[in-house]
Amino acid sequence: MQKLVSIILDCIKNINNERTIYSILHLLNGKKSSQTIQDAHLFSIKKYFGVYESLTRDSFERIIDEIANNQWIKPIEEQRYLLTPSGESYCKKNPVPPHLNGWKYYSMTKLFWERLSLFIQVTSNLVYKETKYIPIQKNKDIHTWVKACLVGTNISRQEIGNQIFHELLECLDQVDGIQPPVLVFRLTGYQQIGLTAEQTANKLKMDMIDYQLEFNNILHYMIKKISENEKNFPLLSFAVYDIKKANDLTNSTKKTWNLYRRGYSINRIAKERKLKVSTIEDHFVEIALNVKNFSIDEYVDKSQQEKILEVARQEQTRQLKQIKEMLGSVTYFQIRLVLAKYGERQWN
Amino acid sequence: MLLKKHFGYHTFKTGQKEVISSILSGNHTLAMLPTGTGKSLCYQLPGYVLEGHILIISPLLSLMQDQVEQLKKFGEKRVIALNSFLSVEEKRSVLTDLKNYKYIFISPEMLQLSYIIQRLQRLKISLFVVDEAHCISQWGYDFRPDYSKLGEIRKKLNDPVTLALTATATRKVRNDIIKSLELNEVAKIESSIDRPNIALHVEQISGYQEKENRVLNLIAKLKKPGIVYFSSKKAADHMALVLRKKTNLRVSAYHGGMDSNTRVLIQQQFIHGQLDVICATSAFGMGVNKENIRFIIHYHMPPQIESYLQEIGRAGRDGKPSVAILLYTPGDERLPLQLAEAELPTNLQIDWLFKIIFQEQIIGKKQLNPEWQELGGFSELQWRIVESFFSEPMQELDDLLSLKDTIQEFINERLEIKKQNIFLMKKFIESSKCRREFILQFFDETMVNKLHSCCDLCGDDIQAFYGNEVCGQSPSNEETWKDYLAKILINSELRE
Repeated sequence: MQKLVSIILDCIKNINNERTIYSILHLLNGKKSSQTIQDAHLFSIKKYFGVYESLTRDSFERIIDEIANNQWIKPIEEQRYLLTPSGESYCKKNPVPPHLNGWKYYSMTKLFWERLSLFIQVTSNLVYKETKYIPIQKNKDIHTWVKACLVGTNISRQEIGNQIFHELLECLDQVDGIQPPVLVFRLTGYQQIGLTAEQTANKLKMDMIDYQLEFNNILHYMIKKISENEKNFPLLSFAVYDIKKANDLTNSTKKTWNLYRRGYSINRIAKERKLKVSTIEDHFVEIALNVKNFSIDEYVDKSQQEKILEVARQEQTRQLKQIKEMLGSVTYFQIRLVLAKYGERQWN
Repeated sequence: MLLKKHFGYHTFKTGQKEVISSILSGNHTLAMLPTGTGKSLCYQLPGYVLEGHILIISPLLSLMQDQVEQLKKFGEKRVIALNSFLSVEEKRSVLTDLKNYKYIFISPEMLQLSYIIQRLQRLKISLFVVDEAHCISQWGYDFRPDYSKLGEIRKKLNDPVTLALTATATRKVRNDIIKSLELNEVAKIESSIDRPNIALHVEQISGYQEKENRVLNLIAKLKKPGIVYFSSKKAADHMALVLRKKTNLRVSAYHGGMDSNTRVLIQQQFIHGQLDVICATSAFGMGVNKENIRFIIHYHMPPQIESYLQEIGRAGRDGKPSVAILLYTPGDERLPLQLAEAELPTNLQIDWLFKIIFQEQIIGKKQLNPEWQELGGFSELQWRIVESFFSEPMQELDDLLSLKDTIQEFINERLEIKKQNIFLMKKFIESSKCRREFILQFFDETMVNKLHSCCDLCGDDIQAFYGNEVCGQSPSNEETWKDYLAKILINSELRE
C-alpha cells in the first residue's frame, strides 16, 4: 500500500485544503465529471487520474484513517486535511511510481495491454510453428488488429520473435523507475501461460494495490517511450498505432460541443438538451481544459482574464470563493473558465 | 479418414462411431455418453458428410463459446454462435449471410424469436442437435422451461434428423426427452455412466476445522494434479490461500466471481501443467480437456448425483487410476438446500410482480418491464424463470390469474424435485453397500463385473493414490524476466 499512500499524500499536499479528500477518490477512480477533471488540472495531479479505478470508498476511508493515525496528515475541518512534516518525509522515502501519467494514458492503458499480450502470444506460437491454441484475449477487435499487424509487417515469421524480443529489451532494460517483471511474467507464449495479476504480485512479494500501480506505471512508460520513438520500435509501435481516442471529452460534453460548433448559445444548448444552464457551463469548462483552440474571450473579456489570473497568483489560491470576493464583479463561471484555460500553464 | 483430417484423432472413443453412423443413416438418435468422451464430435464429424447446416441448441453461453472455440481451433471457420452476446449490428450481419455458416450454435432463448425461425426455415437443416438434453425434462436437475418448446420448433424446421446428447440422464429423463422432442422412432445409444478407473470414496468428517485439515493432508499425499470442488466462492478462495501458505504447491482458486481474463489464464495454466491444484466452484470444468487429472475432492456435497458424476468424470480421462473423495460433515446438506431455494423466485416476489402487472394491465400496458427485475429483487436466474412464462404481448387479464397459479405450482414442484435430489445424494453418502452399485442402480444399470479398486465400502485403500511425482516443470525462481522473454520469443531449435 506504500505507493498508494504516497500518491494520496501527494494529492493532499497539492490540493492544500481546498477540496475534500473525496475529490482524491474520484480522481484515482478516473471519474469523468467536470469537477474531477478540473481539479486534476487545477492542482497538478492529473497524472493520477484513473490510476486506481477499482479503489472503493471503504478502503479509501480506511487508508485515510490510517495515515491520519500515523500523523502524516492533520485534520483541518471535516473531510479536509493538510500534509504534516512527517507526511512529507514519508513521501520522500517512498516515491510514487514516476512514470504514471493517468490523464494522458488512462483511456488507452487497457487497450495497449490487450494488444501487447495477444501480439506476444501470437508471435510466440508463430515462432514455434503452433497453430492450435486458445487466445487469452477474447475481444474480437484485438484479434482483427493482430491479424492486420501481421499482414502489415514485412518481417519474416522466423525473425519476428527475435525482433520483438530486442524491441522489448530496448524498451525495458535498464530504465529507472520501472520493474519489468511486473509486466513480463504476465505474458503468455507457446506452451507457457502467463501469470494473473495476483500471482505476479505474490511472486514479486508485492501487495495487490501497489502491484496495480506499478503495472500501470510500466504501461504508461511503454506507451510514452514507444509513441515518441516509433522508428526504434517497428513492431511495438503497432500497439500504439491509432490508440489515441478522438478527444477526451465526456459524452455529454461532446454533445454540447457539437451544438456549440453549430453556433448555439449556452442558454439555447440548455434548452435544446433540457439540461440546467449550470450543467452546460460545466461542459464549457471541460472544453476549455481539453480543446486547445477553444477561445474563452466570448465569455470573459481579456482584461477580466488578466485580473483573475493576477489575483489567483498573488493569493496562491485556486479557491473560487476567495477570488470572487477579491474581484466582486466576475461570475464563478468566468473564474472557472480562466483557471481551466490558463491556470496550469501559469502555475507550473 | 475424416477423423484424422479434421480433428487429428486416430480412433473413435466409446459410442462415437455408433452415434455417427446412426445419424448418417438418417435416424433420430438419443446418445448418452459419459463426460469426457467427446460428445461434440458426434455432430462435428457428420458436418463434413451431410449437405446443409448443423443446428446446435446449447443451453449455456459459456459452453457454446467453448464449443465454437474448439471447432475454430481445428481450423473450421464456418462456425457462428447466435446468442445474446452479439450486438444488434453483428446479429443483423450474421443473419443476412447465415447460409455461409455450416455449424450454427443457438441459445434456446433466441429460438423463441419468430424472425430467427423464419431465417432458419430458409435453410436446409440436415441435423438438429440438442446438447445437454436433460434440460428438457422437468425431472432433470437442470430443467429449462424454454427447452420444453423444442419439439414445436423442430416441427417448424421441417422435422430434421435429430440428435439429443446428454451425459447423465436417468431412464425417466431419457423418456421425457424423446416425448418432448416429438420423436417417433429413436435409436438409443447409451453407454454406461460408470467410469471404472475412478475409485469412489466418501469420508465422514466431524467438523469444519477437521475438514480443512483433512484436505491439507490429502493434498499433500495424493498424486497430482487435482481439483477440489466447493459450493461457495469464498470457501474456494480461502482454501486456495491456506494451501498456498502451508504447502509449496502451485494452487489457484477459480470461480465465477473472477474476471474472465483471469479465468482463462488459470484454466490454461492448469491444462499446461503450471498448477497442481485448483480450488473451484462448479463453474470450473467445462471445456477443460485435461487427460491426467488424478483426484477430485468434494469439499461440499453436490446438489445431485448427476452433478457429482459430471465433476468426478473430469478425473482420469487417460484411463489411469484416479480417485474421487467426498468429504461430508453432518449438516452439510443445508447449503445445497439454501442454494436451491435461492435459485427460484419466492412466493412473495411472485405476489408482488402480479400486483404490478394487474395495475399496468388496467392502463393498457402489455409488456413485462425489465426494470421489475431489480425492483422485485429477482436474481438473473429467477428472472429468467419468470420471463419464460410470459408471451409477447402479454396474456389477457383472465389468463393471467391462472398463469400466477401455474408459476407458483411450477416453483413448488421444482423445489420438491431439488429436495429429492439432495436427499438422494445424502443417501449415497450414507450408503452402506457398494457406492458404484448405488449409482448404477440410480441410472437403471446393473453392475457387470466387480472392480478391484471400487469404493471405500468395498475396501479400496486410498493410499493407492498417494505419490510424489511432480506433475509439471516448476519454473525456477531464479528465472529473470529476460530469460522468460527469450524462452517464449526465441525458438532456440531454429537458431542452430
